[in-house]
Amino acid sequence: MSQGKFTRRTLLGGAAAGSALTVFAGPWKHNRVWAQASDKPIRIGLTSDASGQYANSGASDRRGMMMAIDEANERGGVLGRKIQWVHIDTETVPATGSRVAERMITREECGFLIGAVHSGVANAISQVAQKYGVIYLNTNSSSPTEAGQNCHRTKFVWDGNGTNFAKAAVKNAIDTYGKNWMLLTNDYVWGHDTAKATKALLAQYGGEVMEEILIPQGTRDFSSALLRVQQQKPAVVSAAIGGDDQKAFRQQVAQLGMGANPAWINSQQDWPDVYGLPIDNLFGVFGTTWYYKLDLPGVADFVKTYQERYPDTQMRVPGNVFYNGYMSTRELLSAVERAGSTNNIAVIKALEGHKMPAADRMQHHDAWIDPATHQVQQTIYLATANSKWTEADKDGLFEIVTNTAPDAVLDTAAPEACKLESYEDTPSFDA
Amino acid sequence: MTDILPHLLNGLTLGLLFALIALGFTLIVGVMEVINLAHGSLFALGAYFALTVLGAGWFGDTAFGAWWLSLAIETRYVAALLIGPLLAALAGMALELCLRPTYGKAPLYGLLLTFGAALVIEEIIRLGWGTGEQNLQVPAAINGPILVAGFIYSKYKFFAAGFSLVAIVAVWLFLERTPYGAIIKAGAHDSEMVRALGYDLSKLRLLVFGFGAALAGLAGIIMVPIWGLRPHVGIDVVIPAFLIIVIGGIGSFWGAVVAALLVGLAVGITGAYAGAWATMSMYILLIVVVGFRSRGLFGRKSALEN
Amino acid sequence: MISLADIPSRSPVQAYGPVALLALALATAPWWLPAIGLYQYLGVEVAIWMIFALGFNLLFGYAGLHSFGHGAYLGIGAYAFGLFQQNVALSLWGGLGAAILAAGFAGAIVGVFVSHRRGIYYALLTIAFGQVFWFSSMKLYGITGGEDGLLGIPRPPLTFFGLEFDLRSNVALFYLSAIFLLLTVLILWRLVNSPFGRVLQAIRQNETRARFAGYEVWRFKWAAFVISAMFAGLAGGLFSMAQQSAYPDVMSLHQSGLIVMMVLVGGGLVSFWGPVLGVILYFVARDVLGGLTETWLLWYGLMFMAMVMLRPEGVAGMLHLGWKRLRGGEKPAVLAAEKA
Repeated sequence: MSQGKFTRRTLLGGAAAGSALTVFAGPWKHNRVWAQASDKPIRIGLTSDASGQYANSGASDRRGMMMAIDEANERGGVLGRKIQWVHIDTETVPATGSRVAERMITREECGFLIGAVHSGVANAISQVAQKYGVIYLNTNSSSPTEAGQNCHRTKFVWDGNGTNFAKAAVKNAIDTYGKNWMLLTNDYVWGHDTAKATKALLAQYGGEVMEEILIPQGTRDFSSALLRVQQQKPAVVSAAIGGDDQKAFRQQVAQLGMGANPAWINSQQDWPDVYGLPIDNLFGVFGTTWYYKLDLPGVADFVKTYQERYPDTQMRVPGNVFYNGYMSTRELLSAVERAGSTNNIAVIKALEGHKMPAADRMQHHDAWIDPATHQVQQTIYLATANSKWTEADKDGLFEIVTNTAPDAVLDTAAPEACKLESYEDTPSFDA
Repeated sequence: MTDILPHLLNGLTLGLLFALIALGFTLIVGVMEVINLAHGSLFALGAYFALTVLGAGWFGDTAFGAWWLSLAIETRYVAALLIGPLLAALAGMALELCLRPTYGKAPLYGLLLTFGAALVIEEIIRLGWGTGEQNLQVPAAINGPILVAGFIYSKYKFFAAGFSLVAIVAVWLFLERTPYGAIIKAGAHDSEMVRALGYDLSKLRLLVFGFGAALAGLAGIIMVPIWGLRPHVGIDVVIPAFLIIVIGGIGSFWGAVVAALLVGLAVGITGAYAGAWATMSMYILLIVVVGFRSRGLFGRKSALEN
Repeated sequence: MISLADIPSRSPVQAYGPVALLALALATAPWWLPAIGLYQYLGVEVAIWMIFALGFNLLFGYAGLHSFGHGAYLGIGAYAFGLFQQNVALSLWGGLGAAILAAGFAGAIVGVFVSHRRGIYYALLTIAFGQVFWFSSMKLYGITGGEDGLLGIPRPPLTFFGLEFDLRSNVALFYLSAIFLLLTVLILWRLVNSPFGRVLQAIRQNETRARFAGYEVWRFKWAAFVISAMFAGLAGGLFSMAQQSAYPDVMSLHQSGLIVMMVLVGGGLVSFWGPVLGVILYFVARDVLGGLTETWLLWYGLMFMAMVMLRPEGVAGMLHLGWKRLRGGEKPAVLAAEKA
């Protein structure tokens, strides 16, 4: 992005005039050769939060990546090389994300970076990664901007986004519940993007927005908004409320017993955020990309492997955050195998457009990595709280209502907003 | 126009909750001249202790634990309401012991020490109780919805507001109508006098800080069924508490209560009609008040300014 | 406790030694940083935070005004730099000028409110205003990018008398920051040893007496606040170049607390050089501890608490006392430190 503002001329001019400085700085577009010897391990930086708002999701994300790395090492590594990982806490703070990414690339010599839940942190890391040409996997941030205006050639986005979930839900909900909608929107970029997608779909399918209430970030009490909902009596309320706000919100809707009426359309519910909570905390319809009880081959084994590998973890079954961490890492390593090289451009090309059969990913439909936006286009599930929930099976919180094929929920605005850097403008190197 | 009535009721309820949040903070600033930035962490700690008491925690696998869990939730909840703040008070007293070297120096040192303590307590919570989201159970009698004039309110929130009202009056009576209160207030303004009367000033400070921490812990137990429970839940506490005492005026008990009610009304009403401004309304209130009365609504020039 | 007055730093001559040492360390940093297991980018951040910390200490250590919301001015500088690049012109000097002016302007307004206050009210009001700025930066997402931050801020080339230097490598940016750091040191050194600086110290020691001595105290307090906000703005402008983004987090109470923490631990209350030591200690501790354990904040927090309780004069004070003891038992200074 920033590089786009420089012309080649000023760049060369600068290099000539500033010869004294360029002695230290080196040529701008350099080829780093860390891995001359083929037995040198491949190093991966895990950039997940261990403190701050997303510490808990970050831990789950990290367990997924580590399981994929362990499995690869047990098979003898990739291209005959062992995989090593480094983890540094990104603190759920974007500025820390930048610094950690710099350290991982320049000091820890990581050839790949993986991990994020918070979109600000993901952005910060991806800017640094793009500067050095290092491939970065955004595992779990579901902001539409990630594969839209803030996309990068080196960044790949593995989660479904707010638009995907809205597309899966809106038409169905108009038909089932009615056309008078109210929107509760978190007053920041992610909330507004998600609400915009919902509004466009409402306009398309004949729904109406009665009122939109903006909820400032960091709100802990939703009573006034919930009273307003009662006064307006909409058929459906679509809530785009994220992070800790969502957790408080969920609790308060449950206390009011308003979960059943009106009908609620919620954004994605991350498994680490709901795990261990009472079932009445879940209400309405919400999205997810994976559930540990999907009726598909391989799912049960996957859950068993998780339980054997992490016997002491409080969370006894894997969820969507773990799943994304695992799948993204596994796909990255197999892309390196396919490319037959750790050259970043070769690996990027092996990832772009790559098709992933449904059976491999334990989802209902084939997925692919969109070459135009670098977002993984995948099955979107809508779920509700499990109506047959029992104390004996207390982890069985969800009931999957529908699964939608990726081409039906494509974020069609993303390719217009996303301008990937060219291969030539991306520094190349071998990890 | 009747449209706004439910929001007024809701705003007042919110205001009482804000007052509860600010209570322990106000007490410690007013009496001890310490801006306790660990207030939020003690708030969280109280709630986590209550969680442990409710679930038999450390005795979970023993016969005592089994007996405890067989008791009614109401009994255990009342026990948690008593034991949680008590343990938070112990933590607060430990913090007061750490604070001692800073007395007599600029107020900054207390601020800094409690800032460090906030980091430490939050990490201890992560280590002790895990990073995940937890749920503090409350008895069914005070949970669930209630209909008032055709609108659904949360029964629990009315309980919490009522509880807060009782706590405010109790603390006020304690400060104004008991000899202990008189000594505490004297300690705030004239430590020489307290010594002359034969009281041990350092013990007094220990107890006041413990009392403030207990109130923080109590607020935590009452608030987390509404906010949810996670290790960093305390960061949402310090800022409102802070704004409230600046608006109300430092050292003024009723100033804090009035400020809390004003903040509650402002947030409640903007939340319904101009949602985007709900949080901003607190800050606007602050700027307006401080612009006209720089010591807050009821603040007087005090010894703390030197 | 010892204070700034105990460590004499009156004449410019005495500053040449430390300044030369700092300049040498900075000039050679790109070579020795990797050798001791650190990396170039860390050097950039450390140099920038030193500017911030030194400017902050004019207010904190010299005038004794305990601002606890200073992260806001760093943030304002960062946004101003980024917005200037994206909306006005691609220019280093323009951007840094905008950063300094914007932070100075915000500081001037807040200064009017806070400069009549002292003690705990001063701290409370600076926190409150810091929060207003922090919240506004998230609320005005149309301008600032909100929670996601202002992204894609370029590092414009340095133009200087017809010469042009590319700043896109971290080493080049480090040298730019190092030059600004040295300038900051020189300006602040002159300032604290000028009559103005002596009035600030008099205010710290006894505001009432300074007032009776005929000074319009609040004007001095206001000026100190504005100047330190301007240095914060400069640091913020450079920081947004380092990060190529500006985020609201740097304005939060937590971050504002960290800068106070750094300055105090380093010994800003007793020495001009305290902030420099404090910034080094914090960044190295964070980088090393953070790489070793996930609970690094616990250990850093405990270390900090111990420091506030036992050695509030910080690293600089400890060095000073140690030096005195070495030279032959000047006990009184030590006793004074323990008594207070």
